[in-house]
Amino acid sequence: MEQVVANGLYLGAQYALIALGLTLIFALMNVLNFAHGQMYVLGGFVTYEIYGQLRWPFVVALFASAITLAVLGGLIERLLFRTVIRRSVREESTMLLAAGIAYFLDAVILLLFGEKQRGVPKIVPGVLRAGDIIMPYDRIVVGGLAVLFIVGFILMMQYTRPGRAMRALAQDRIAAQLMGVPVEFYSLLGFALGAMLAGLVGGLLVTITGVNSGIGGPISLKAFLMVMIGGAGVVGGAIAGGFILGMLESVGLTVLHAYGDITYLVIFAALLIFLAIRPNGLMGKPWG
Amino acid sequence: MTSILKVNGLTKQFGGLVAVNDVSFDVQPNEILSVIGPNGAGKSTIFKLISSFLRPTRGEVLFQGERISGLAPHIVARKGVVRTFQETTIFKGLTARDSVIVAHHLRSRASLIGYYFETGLARRDEEAFGSSSDEILEFLGLGEVKNEIASNLPHGHLRALGIAIGLAANPQVLLLDEPFAGMNHEETRRAVELVRAVRERGVTVLLVEHDMAAVMKISDRIVVINFGSKIAEGAPAQIQKNDRVIEAYLGVEDQSIGL
Amino acid sequence: MFRPLRLAALAVFVLVVFLAVPLAIKAAGRTDFYYTLSSVALLAIASSGVWLMFHIGRINIGQGAFALMGGYVSAILVTSAGFSFWLSLPLAGLFCAAVSILIGLPILRLRGVYFAMVTLVLTEVARLLALALPITNGAKGITSIPAPGAIGAFGVTLVPAFDTFAERNLAFYYLSTIMMTLCFAALYRLVHSRIGKLFVAMQQNEELASSMGINVPAMRILAYAISSFLGGLAGAIFIAIAQSIYPSSFTVNDSVNFMLNCFVGGLGHVFGPMLGTLVLYFGWDLLFAIGQYQLLIYSGVMVLLMLVLPNGLLSIRLPSRRGARK
Repeated sequence: MEQVVANGLYLGAQYALIALGLTLIFALMNVLNFAHGQMYVLGGFVTYEIYGQLRWPFVVALFASAITLAVLGGLIERLLFRTVIRRSVREESTMLLAAGIAYFLDAVILLLFGEKQRGVPKIVPGVLRAGDIIMPYDRIVVGGLAVLFIVGFILMMQYTRPGRAMRALAQDRIAAQLMGVPVEFYSLLGFALGAMLAGLVGGLLVTITGVNSGIGGPISLKAFLMVMIGGAGVVGGAIAGGFILGMLESVGLTVLHAYGDITYLVIFAALLIFLAIRPNGLMGKPWG
Repeated sequence: MTSILKVNGLTKQFGGLVAVNDVSFDVQPNEILSVIGPNGAGKSTIFKLISSFLRPTRGEVLFQGERISGLAPHIVARKGVVRTFQETTIFKGLTARDSVIVAHHLRSRASLIGYYFETGLARRDEEAFGSSSDEILEFLGLGEVKNEIASNLPHGHLRALGIAIGLAANPQVLLLDEPFAGMNHEETRRAVELVRAVRERGVTVLLVEHDMAAVMKISDRIVVINFGSKIAEGAPAQIQKNDRVIEAYLGVEDQSIGL
Repeated sequence: MFRPLRLAALAVFVLVVFLAVPLAIKAAGRTDFYYTLSSVALLAIASSGVWLMFHIGRINIGQGAFALMGGYVSAILVTSAGFSFWLSLPLAGLFCAAVSILIGLPILRLRGVYFAMVTLVLTEVARLLALALPITNGAKGITSIPAPGAIGAFGVTLVPAFDTFAERNLAFYYLSTIMMTLCFAALYRLVHSRIGKLFVAMQQNEELASSMGINVPAMRILAYAISSFLGGLAGAIFIAIAQSIYPSSFTVNDSVNFMLNCFVGGLGHVFGPMLGTLVLYFGWDLLFAIGQYQLLIYSGVMVLLMLVLPNGLLSIRLPSRRGARK
């Protein structure tokens, strides 16, 4: 039992971080970032190259993952989304763009890194045994780092000037603009930050589960699930959704292990019923 | 005279907050009744409760003696109680004329299948809707701009279009949501004329409004709401002299109340 | 209803699709194009359902689920229950419509990205169900599905059994394109009737529409049922061509592609999904020749297209039409 909870918490911390990036981009730009999973994969491959192949320190690799994705995210916002949002009649058009970018990143990743599953050496060896819980040290480190990043993100959103500006932007874009918030700059910053979070988790998780070019789509799907559970565009919702999905997976894989791939079917069914009762998730705003 | 609309002990709570508290009043056939109150007094909540976009916590709304609270909005509309929205709420991408034609839905005699196969009845419906729309648009001074896309219309025209859409549904009671908000003096004067003209068509008008001056000019009777409760009801002249009303308005904001 | 210009356009369309294209393919000896173009026609049918959902203001990324469902219903009816393919076709569509009504009751209350995400998840649910249910035969799928048989009435054979054709794929080409023509004609009629106007009103503003007495929840269900019917129909014919079905026959990627077809063609016009499917699927197929850069160029062009024409290919006509009215 404790083991299941420990696994759920470790998984939940990673998931929450993924969902945070997705929800941030959604809150600021009203864009559902289909390419979020691909950004995660790219982050994983950057860490794989630097830490796994070049054998530089893990911290450097993680940093490189974050910076790469932040720059990429910023470029994507500046060059693509900004133009399309300005010129299209219907705001759903951004979904095509996001899906196109997802395919494009998929193609780039495939060309650069191939389709093999890639892993890296363990960042810390050994396994913690405490009572009934068995937990490899590297999972503890990675889980701890994820929690650290989540706390850092929340503090930044609460207490720094850019954080406050982005919250204002998420609440009411026009009002924020009238109040003199440089809306375009913070959209760019927010997109870069969201992409960076995806890259960070990619860099973290490559040390545990490895990475391959095909998992971008499934990761995006999971991120959508978390955001739906918690409510789109809300920081608290993303964190709650992440931990809930982590816990459900952990419990499901233990309890329903005997029945094969049925865990996700049960999660989906539960989600549909839940959304029928609470259409905006746990803490979402009315319009998604 | 029996009332056409009866609001009975209406109460709405959001969580612990009581937005509307035990409000009752009657609307007489073919009168113009205004519900006014300072910002945040609970006016729009009452409006949504009457049009059944919200379900009351307690109390009920009766239309011609029949309970309409808790029915779906489209059923309430079908019975004859039709609401309009503030100006931002229109069919933005349709032309003014198409908007009004669509809003004739309740007068359809043909079925959906009939419309699909363009039966004779459906074609006669379409023709009737078209000429009726032209008449309504002309009546509200929108004849010139009827083929413009709604989102390109100026302020005052949008408000009139909102009323046109409401009229198309052939209401017995028309609920107007802040019809004078954000209008200048001249626009308000025109809008007041429009609302009077609507009443001349035999429609009962219930409006929720903030602009005291316009309300005083137009209403037969006024209901005043503050902090979710009714604090006064009566003819404009009575309301103007009511101490609680003056206190409520002066207490909240010092703007002109048109006395 | 039948204005000369429209009639001429229809005549050209019929001549090209049913005469010129088969002749050209025969002349060029590229009979593999029959399969490609049948796929385009079927995917266009499925995409048109998604387009209808856009028309009422819902982003449906779950059409793959209904294509898969329709495919399985037809496959199971034909292989296990001994139904004729021709009977299984409408049944597959109706089954999907019925299921979509049940699912639609709760989820059609959702809007915007919530609806989009839930429908995306539905595709995954359909795949997992196909894996888990006994009747779908799990990952092994259903194989060697017989080709459509003959249709006859009063002793006269109207359509011969597909196995008797020398070029089986030509028969499927005609089946697919005829179905596509019928579906789009029906959809065109729908969108240009008063029902279509009600749909647009709902797309623009659901609250206002319901306050005009329009039964918005019921109309949403109607649109979703039609959309899913089209998805199921397309899936069933697709499976008949492939003669096999697996849980992975229609995936999340397909669901996303159906949506993309609508975007690329343009959301403002009924024939948008047809054009979008043709461009995207045919383009994808042509790019196969360049090997490993296929996806890169395909997605790159898609992103560029989005930058240049954010409102779809058919939006090119808009300025000139507006000019003509003046």
